[in-house]
Amino acid sequence: MRKAVIIPAAIAVLVVAAFATANLYRVPTLHFPFDVERPAEVGTVEYIVEGVRCRGTSMGFVKMTAEVPGMISVTTYARNNSAIVEYDPAITNPDRIREAFEALVERDGVRYQYFRALSQRDLD
Amino acid sequence: MRVLRTLVQIAFLAGTVVLMARGIAGLTPNTCEAYCPFGGVAALLPLARYGQYTCRLTELNVSLMVSLFVLTIATKKSFCSWVCPFGTVSEWLSRAGRKVFGRSFHLPDRGDRWAMNLRYVVLVLVLLLTWTVWKGDLGFRAYDPFYILFTWGGHGTAAFSFYILFAILAAAVLVPFFWCRYLCPLGAVMDPLSRYGGLRVRRNPEACTECGECDRVCPHQIPVSREIEVTARNCTNCLDCVSECPESGALELSCYGK
Repeated sequence: MRKAVIIPAAIAVLVVAAFATANLYRVPTLHFPFDVERPAEVGTVEYIVEGVRCRGTSMGFVKMTAEVPGMISVTTYARNNSAIVEYDPAITNPDRIREAFEALVERDGVRYQYFRALSQRDLD
Repeated sequence: MRVLRTLVQIAFLAGTVVLMARGIAGLTPNTCEAYCPFGGVAALLPLARYGQYTCRLTELNVSLMVSLFVLTIATKKSFCSWVCPFGTVSEWLSRAGRKVFGRSFHLPDRGDRWAMNLRYVVLVLVLLLTWTVWKGDLGFRAYDPFYILFTWGGHGTAAFSFYILFAILAAAVLVPFFWCRYLCPLGAVMDPLSRYGGLRVRRNPEACTECGECDRVCPHQIPVSREIEVTARNCTNCLDCVSECPESGALELSCYGK
């Protein structure tokens, strides 16, 4: 009955393979382009937002982002709680966006409380 | 063999319980659904149509789904009896039920065959509702005993969810693998692949005395003593028939006929 060992061995290999391959590709939870004209030059910044956990919270983050001037699009990834924001560099910059986010969380804490823990990573 | 399977089952169940405890304690936003291959199935249409995920599903659900398909093609539905924590709970409950009542209860053959098709109805309903009425939300959470049990009433469940859970657990005490056998949509997804699973129990008619012990111990009521190779879609390769067979060499595992 040595063949029975094939089953746990296959399970172990396939679980490891699943975790390994899941890191090889990235599909967004939500991609939301705002209804604005795309400028010639576009800046990109990634925020790690603990509250971005699903499509619903991603929509909440988009609503918050919509209140900040200079936004072009938001793409969220629930698996690593990240949001990639495209912005118009002629209007704003990553630090100002972040300050605007933090001000919105302060102003409307209940609605945007999920997005309190936020860190930033420049992609440009 | 049974010890090996029990150890694997305990490992996966323990991992799920630890995840559940961490979730309840607020230490992680992840729940068992982050590791459920059925999430990959639910994510397929939105992925194909919009290139985006639905609800909380991620790459891991899709990768685990692909791994599950490969596992099923290789080893039939061994996922159910070796990995699935809800399958483990169902199995232990049905064993307890057998001890208490001295027997298991089964539907009559015809009703059983008809009821087994309910899981296809559940599968179609869950996918259709997820993609239409629930608008991409995983509304099945409120009815899914796996999610209700291992998040202990997590996000998306309601008071009636626990009635469903307890009804299904009570049914598992009486009818072995009640949920898995009649209602599990993931089981329905695996069914077509399981028929062609490479690792199967094979009966050697020359060594077999047709005592029927294998039929008696099979939790899925497969008539092993009447088969040469067990191709039944329900076989989960739990190998109870092989362990309990009193004749040496009468039942063995074969890998693609070898």
